[in-house]
Amino acid sequence: MHLILNSFGFGLVTASVLALAAVGVTLQFGVTNYVNFAYGEFLTVGAYLTWMLNVQLHVNFWLAAAGGAIVTGLGAVAISEFVLKPFVRRGARLLFLLIVTLGLSLILANVFQILWGTDFRKFAIANQQVFSAGPLIFTPNQIIIMAIGIGAMLAIHWLLKHTKLGKAMRAMSDNLSLARVSGVDTDRVTRWTWFISGCLAGLAGVMLALSAEGFQPSFGEQFLFVIFASVVLGGVGQPYGAMLGALIIGVVTEMSAAVLSSALKGDVAFLVLIVMILIRPQGLIPSQGKA
Amino acid sequence: MNDIVYYMATLAVLFCIYNILTLGLNIQFGYTGILDFAYITFLAAGAYFAGVSALPRAGGTDQEYILGLSWPFPLTLALGAVVAGLLGVAVGGTILSRWNLRSDYLGIVTVAFGTICYDLVGNLTPLFNGWFGLRGIPQPLNRLLNLNPNTYTLFFLGVCVVIMLVLWLVANRIYHSPLGRTMRAIREDVDVAATFGKDTVKVRMLAMCIGCVYAGIAGGLLIEFIGGIAPDSWTTAETFIVWAAMIIGGQGNNLGAAVGTLLVTVVFIEGTRFLPPVPGHPLLIAAARNIAIGVLLIVTLRFHPQGLVPERRARAPRGWQAPGAPMPASSLSNNPGVGR
Repeated sequence: MHLILNSFGFGLVTASVLALAAVGVTLQFGVTNYVNFAYGEFLTVGAYLTWMLNVQLHVNFWLAAAGGAIVTGLGAVAISEFVLKPFVRRGARLLFLLIVTLGLSLILANVFQILWGTDFRKFAIANQQVFSAGPLIFTPNQIIIMAIGIGAMLAIHWLLKHTKLGKAMRAMSDNLSLARVSGVDTDRVTRWTWFISGCLAGLAGVMLALSAEGFQPSFGEQFLFVIFASVVLGGVGQPYGAMLGALIIGVVTEMSAAVLSSALKGDVAFLVLIVMILIRPQGLIPSQGKA
Repeated sequence: MNDIVYYMATLAVLFCIYNILTLGLNIQFGYTGILDFAYITFLAAGAYFAGVSALPRAGGTDQEYILGLSWPFPLTLALGAVVAGLLGVAVGGTILSRWNLRSDYLGIVTVAFGTICYDLVGNLTPLFNGWFGLRGIPQPLNRLLNLNPNTYTLFFLGVCVVIMLVLWLVANRIYHSPLGRTMRAIREDVDVAATFGKDTVKVRMLAMCIGCVYAGIAGGLLIEFIGGIAPDSWTTAETFIVWAAMIIGGQGNNLGAAVGTLLVTVVFIEGTRFLPPVPGHPLLIAAARNIAIGVLLIVTLRFHPQGLVPERRARAPRGWQAPGAPMPASSLSNNPGVGR
């Protein structure tokens, strides 16, 4: 019983990381209407930039994390502007765009391998004292990860409901042509969306590396399909759905790790993905025209 | 002299195997528009099952694996092909059964499937010897023939060439058959094909299955030729190399697939294998090569999406005239707008 409660607590931590990443994927999908298969590499970039700032340049870890996330966001904008936008503007087929993002993923993964090698890396943070909150046991870092996850979700909620940019993003997600004729500057909104998506990916990468206590260049790519499982579960293109999906996938995978075996965590996420696609591909919170 | 012959024969064998692989992906994507991002996993399935059916019972050696049937050569290949085909049907069944599901989902499910298979095969050592992989697969028929390595490579090349040519002919036959026309109609617009009464689910499942059988055969030949396979030789990067070969060569065109295979796998992969390693960066050349292939693919899709050898435009049957339209009936391949 104790073990299961504990893994529930750890599930909440994983869910916080997943929520950051899944909301990033789904926001970008909603606005641009295609999936980015290079998203896993964005997580890796965030973690490594933070590591360079933190370990090589001795910047405070949290500052380094913020820097890493922002630079990842800028990188995402650059990729969208210089690589993907020409395809979108020419009206390339959806299939081609998806292949291009997969190609980007391969290119980035190999660039990282050249830049950073294949060794395991760790952030320069002191070992932490474990403490218990009721029946659950956490490290301070895990509490911070959850706080960041919840904070980011609240910020996204505020962005979508109360800012002009967020309203424009929702409008583009619902109907691109209608948003355009209503005077939404779709290019600008697309740039901002990629920036936010990249920042969330970078932050998620740092948090994932922090919670796993180590990382290597392929760790983002290996996490990608768990992110996709959360996105599909919640409903592709639905930020609130992605949060819900992340919560479910995070808790379910960690609890299954306690009940079954930790090697099967990924398989449980995969099972959820397949079952969802078979019985309800539009997700828990469906959005029109995205399934 | 003998060494050069031996080397060229080895390259030719690899070309045949990769070309079978590209032909299969061409049937899936080039003909039918199925986005299979785990294509190399089906090669692995074929390779592992061909391997464990050729190996003797496990136990005497330090390897762990299932089956161990000591089957003779063509049977092992057939088993690999059947298993790969069945796996293709299983994966296809989950996504293609809903004919109007967007292709993003196909990509997502196949990526997830590839990752899961990689993890499972690596972690479950009793299946196929885990991360170490299978090795010591007996050379097919060599117990009967007893050839020296050089002559044997030439013999194996003959086998590969025959199998590749047969599969190439089959792929061409499919292209020009009513089935192939339906496949291409589905590629251009699945809704229209469904409106005309085509069973799009069945045809896409068939394309998925045939493509995976091709991959399984290629995998079987590969493992019988090299003698082993490990999880690290079938990651997403390898899938991507097959994609690059098909797209750079010319999607929907089998000659293009062969040109792409020659360029990407033989020139890029094998040609760069003998460059001297950069001191201190043992992985540099392999990584730079993958980057170059990725860039080449994106540039091809951007500026010349039909590839080096473009697919021929379909002609209307003789005597048929489009009502009032001077345009050929299917100039659809350059259809603008985001399709499924």
